[in-house]
Amino acid sequence: MITLRGVTKQYATPAGAFAALRGVDLDITAGEFVAIVGKSGSGKSTLLNMIGGIDRPSSGSVAVGGTAIESLAPNALATWRGRSVGFVFQFFQLLPTLTVAENVMLPLDFSGALPEKQRRARAAQLLERLGVAEQAAKLPSALSGGQQQRVAIARALANDPPLLLADEPTGNLDSATSADIFHLFRELAFGGRTVVVVTHERDVDTGVSRTVRIVDGSVTR
Amino acid sequence: MTLAPRWRKVVRDLAEHPVRCALAVLAMTAGAFGVGTILTSYTILTRELKATYDGTIPASAVLTVEHLDDAALAAVRALPDVAEAESRPAIYARARLANGDARAMTLFVMDGNRIDRIASSDCGGKAIADCLAALRPDEILVERSSMSVAHAAVGDRIVMKTSDGTERSLRIAGTVHAAGLAPGWMDHHVAAFANPRSLQHARGGRLLVVVRGDRLDESHIRVVASDVRALLARRGLNVVDIEIPRPGRHPHADQMATFLFLLGCFGVLALALSAVLVATMIHALLTEQLRQVGVMKALGATTTQIAALYLVQVSLLACAALILGMPLGFAAGRAYTAFAANMLNATVASHAVPAWAIAAQIAAGLLVPLLVAAGPVLHASRISVHDALANDAGRRAFGASAFDRLLARIAWLPRPLMLSLRTAFRRRGRLALTVATLAAGGAVFVTTLDAAAAWRRVLAEEGEARRYDLDVRLAEPRPIAELANALARVPEVAHAEYWTESVARLPRVVKTPVRVRVHGLDDEHALLVRPQVPTSLLALPLLQGRWLRAGDRGVAVVNQSLLARVPPLRLGDPLRLRVDGRDVSLRLVGVVKELAPIPAVYTTEAPPPVATRSIRIVTRAHDVATRRAAARAIERVLPRVTSVQSLADTRQAFADHLVIINTALLLAATLVLLVGTLGLASTMALSVVERTRELGIMGSLGATPNALARDVVLQGVVISALSWCVALAFAVPLTLFVNATTGRMFIGAPLPFVVAPAGALGWLALVLILGALASLQPAWRASQLTIREALAYE
Repeated sequence: MITLRGVTKQYATPAGAFAALRGVDLDITAGEFVAIVGKSGSGKSTLLNMIGGIDRPSSGSVAVGGTAIESLAPNALATWRGRSVGFVFQFFQLLPTLTVAENVMLPLDFSGALPEKQRRARAAQLLERLGVAEQAAKLPSALSGGQQQRVAIARALANDPPLLLADEPTGNLDSATSADIFHLFRELAFGGRTVVVVTHERDVDTGVSRTVRIVDGSVTR
Repeated sequence: MTLAPRWRKVVRDLAEHPVRCALAVLAMTAGAFGVGTILTSYTILTRELKATYDGTIPASAVLTVEHLDDAALAAVRALPDVAEAESRPAIYARARLANGDARAMTLFVMDGNRIDRIASSDCGGKAIADCLAALRPDEILVERSSMSVAHAAVGDRIVMKTSDGTERSLRIAGTVHAAGLAPGWMDHHVAAFANPRSLQHARGGRLLVVVRGDRLDESHIRVVASDVRALLARRGLNVVDIEIPRPGRHPHADQMATFLFLLGCFGVLALALSAVLVATMIHALLTEQLRQVGVMKALGATTTQIAALYLVQVSLLACAALILGMPLGFAAGRAYTAFAANMLNATVASHAVPAWAIAAQIAAGLLVPLLVAAGPVLHASRISVHDALANDAGRRAFGASAFDRLLARIAWLPRPLMLSLRTAFRRRGRLALTVATLAAGGAVFVTTLDAAAAWRRVLAEEGEARRYDLDVRLAEPRPIAELANALARVPEVAHAEYWTESVARLPRVVKTPVRVRVHGLDDEHALLVRPQVPTSLLALPLLQGRWLRAGDRGVAVVNQSLLARVPPLRLGDPLRLRVDGRDVSLRLVGVVKELAPIPAVYTTEAPPPVATRSIRIVTRAHDVATRRAAARAIERVLPRVTSVQSLADTRQAFADHLVIINTALLLAATLVLLVGTLGLASTMALSVVERTRELGIMGSLGATPNALARDVVLQGVVISALSWCVALAFAVPLTLFVNATTGRMFIGAPLPFVVAPAGALGWLALVLILGALASLQPAWRASQLTIREALAYE
């Protein structure tokens, strides 16, 4: 499903070049539920961004579902991302001026995947599945953090992508809600989806199938 | 059908920030308004002025003929190249008004109304032909714009005093509109019309001719005019003068063109500034939306989809601005048209704006915002998801440049001022645009006052140069001793000098500047003045050489107006003139500057004259009442006075010509000022939005809400103060440009550069107040932020 070979990433900072990733090799097979753990600044988010095509490696190759990410032009990458990857962010990143249902419909709108009439039904179905159906007509600001993150997951699933990426999805949530969210991810992985979550060490025991530890930009076993 | 979520986002994002949207719409409205005003006044005025003027069937040539008779007129009409010919005698007289004052008056005898037509204005509802025909022998019609000069109403009587000393009381039977004449109030002159029966003795005089064929071809007109002169000469009639007005051009067309040009410049400036403002706002909006752009891209949005979102948003704002700006622009354009038409004594028959002008306005209103937004939108929609989601997206860290570090070293200022200064310089591009926009408004404001001050200086210099109060002309020369005796009986007269004047002709070799009226066919006419030397009454500013000295023989001083119309002359060159039928050669010793654009030659006379028709008088006091009393007494004691001109009145008449220019400048300044203030307000609002987190931190460190608000206001004031300095720098070239343009138009030379302290200081006060006002709302917002909200701000 996911194959990284010799991936490095360097950033130019006012304080000089900074290597976020140093020659990462990684394979994740379909249906795995993988946690990427590491300290703040260790490069775990960068690694996730490489997999999701949000960032490009300085060298090395990234292939997801047979697609060589680094070979895609920006627009093709966006289209691929819309259909193949679902993103969940730490700060939820729901668009503040769209209702919950509209936020979920937005990826469908961009990808044009479903006929317009079916989009609302699809959103309703996803919200139902995540237990936030009653919130559909509300604006994100009216929801609690846990509810917002459920909506964000629903949004990530809108195009039914085979890969779900989450960057510290529980970083802003209390421990009970965090457990709920991880439970959800585990269910999604059982359903055959590949789930990759960047998280802190304390969440590792929440039933992931594999933990990838990253230290100073390198994967350790 | 329902809107797709992304389009809903466009609409809701607009609704989310009503203040910012209002600012953006106002900025675009200012541009649309500026363009609308200019296009409306330009299209209506040029069309209507031309229609009004063409409708009068202006004379191609005006010949001054002694003893023109009906047979000669018939012969002229029979010439193949003459389409129309009409005798239009004119009596140049004095009008004695009910209050005792006298004004120059021209009474045209209407022997037909086919050339230089007049139209009925207020004549009991009668058409002009009936109105003229119904005039009784002692009745006249007065040009509508002269009524205020005559201080009279329809039905009143005024006394016309002709140069032969006879006086007639005439009743004003109605008013007419003579579109080909300059407004009477501008020239302080009364134009009146009578029929031949009412003024039997006024035969001969002026012959108006309209050519057949191309009426706009001046050389054709000259040929025809010289044919007419030859024909009249064969019949024994003497043509004293031929005047060929510039074909197809209203007498004030150039004045009009100049001020429309100025207005146009400022319209374009307003559009450009509003475009800059729009670009700034869009840029700021996108900076704030970068994270959302990143999220949408992460969700699969392509660059094109993102760009379309924001361009549609800009289009919506631009449409709103057009809906607001277009009617305002039309209204202002029409109001200005009415004002200008009144200034030019034109009638506006139709206020219709041509379709192309409306189309141009819509195109400018939509395309300009879209074009300026295109850059920032493309930049933002191309950003990578990673960059967009980064915490410092779109922000430049303060301290990255040498300039920042220089600012950081300024530690001796009070802390709030220091912070405001550094904050103002944080977004340098936006600061530059804000300062430039505000400075442009300031520059126009300062220029308006500087230009007005330049005119005041010119008029004051003219007052310094001509130290007499009254300029008196008689119909014929009288012995100076007799005149002195008569003036001795007028207690208001303090001093009098007796000069002599003639008309000099000189060869006009070079093509004259376009604005010169063509007197005669081959010669330039100049006024040859022989003042008393030395004189205490004339001290014209010298441009070259020297003024006349006692004992000078055969030398001349000319004014700059003459110098501009003859072949190049240098000091020491001979100046060849034809005066009273004799050829005279004078050596040029000096060039002086004069306000009036009449070419003049000053020379000495030997032996001193014994008789003259030209007297310069200094009154005992220089107030209006004394001058008026002196003028009345002089008209009484001197024989056959043709004019008593008060120099103060002349200067006032001149100042009246400038009203139209000053109004255009003020309008422009207001417009640009409006845009500038909007720019500042939006900059301040954006700055607060961007600094929300920082303001929260300051709050958590103990800054009171009042202190935060004061910081924001101080930042606005710092920006205003900066813009003031830049405005002064902008104002210099702008003032030079306006002074050159208007000066050349009215006095044939650029105006002096005068700094009006009121302009610079007034603008400083105004811009500081505006700066404080523009930052009040953002300051209030800053003071209302709770620390928790501010720190949570994403």
